[in-house]
Amino acid sequence: MSSRGYIRDAFGAAVPIMLGYVAIGVPCGILCASIGLDVVQVVMMSVLFYSGAGQFMIPNMWLAASPVASIVASVSLVNTRQMLYAASFAPRCAGVPKRLAFLFAATVTDESYGVNTARFEQGGWSVDRALFVNLFSQASWTASNVVGVLVGSAVDIPLAIASFAMTSIFICLLVTQKLTVENAVAAMAAMAGVFACKAAGLSGPAILVGAVVGVAAALGASALRRRARKTGSGTA
Amino acid sequence: MSWGDFLVVFACCALTMLACRVIPLFALKGRQLPEGVERALGFIPPAAFAALVANDLLSPGMFDAGLWPAAAPLLASVAVVAVACWTKSLLWSAVTGVAAYFLLTLV
Repeated sequence: MSSRGYIRDAFGAAVPIMLGYVAIGVPCGILCASIGLDVVQVVMMSVLFYSGAGQFMIPNMWLAASPVASIVASVSLVNTRQMLYAASFAPRCAGVPKRLAFLFAATVTDESYGVNTARFEQGGWSVDRALFVNLFSQASWTASNVVGVLVGSAVDIPLAIASFAMTSIFICLLVTQKLTVENAVAAMAAMAGVFACKAAGLSGPAILVGAVVGVAAALGASALRRRARKTGSGTA
Repeated sequence: MSWGDFLVVFACCALTMLACRVIPLFALKGRQLPEGVERALGFIPPAAFAALVANDLLSPGMFDAGLWPAAAPLLASVAVVAVACWTKSLLWSAVTGVAAYFLLTLV
């Protein structure tokens, strides 16, 4: 397939993310403008930091008079879940040139992780296409943030409703996973883990801890089922 | 926020983010992974998506402000699940979710 075909494929895959990023990127830019950040600073964050949750947290915590060290620690903790995505993509990047793998890894978000994972599982997907998905998404995020800074508070967007676009994307990615006992255990344990973390006041690492709990529970379920199968075949 | 404060927050957050995004991939890339690790990596997607959904929808004090503010996104989620199962489309799921949530907030 030509490189133009690759780009067209990637754009088609990225469109839902790009639209979602418009819905939440504009309010994020408005929030950044409210603490005095200008277009250059917002572009720097969107290009080199590129974290929806992080870019919402920084102005929110600054407005709440949190110290700089506390902002850095909280934002970094929330973003540790990226380690799981990176580990998950490692086998896909075997044999891929280092520069391409680096650029791809450096531009992964929750949403692009989901879309690219689904595409890899369907087959016929590649890291260069996945990189284009990331870059299209990032371009949309950056442009939307800039628009938000420029319009300032002239536009009132109900953030809870706008951000539900991203929640809906996660729901779709979850329910389209292969239906197996292990996957169901992973999902339920992850949800319970997130809820337990929040109940314990640990909202920052809740996603990471929840996901790790889910993976551990699924591994346990998998081991139990394999042992049961072995026992069953041994006695038959 | 002054430029000085911004640069400290930006540089620290960007560096930790880059480390989280890149180091695990390069540490594992191209290696023959043990079977258990490969199986664990395969469970990351359902666990991560469920954690993201739960993080957006569930919290211990979600009903403190009354039943409806917490029930509306949950009901909208049911509509999203139906559309996602039917169409398998991220775009239609997102459109349905936002529309359903918006309509439910009008009730």
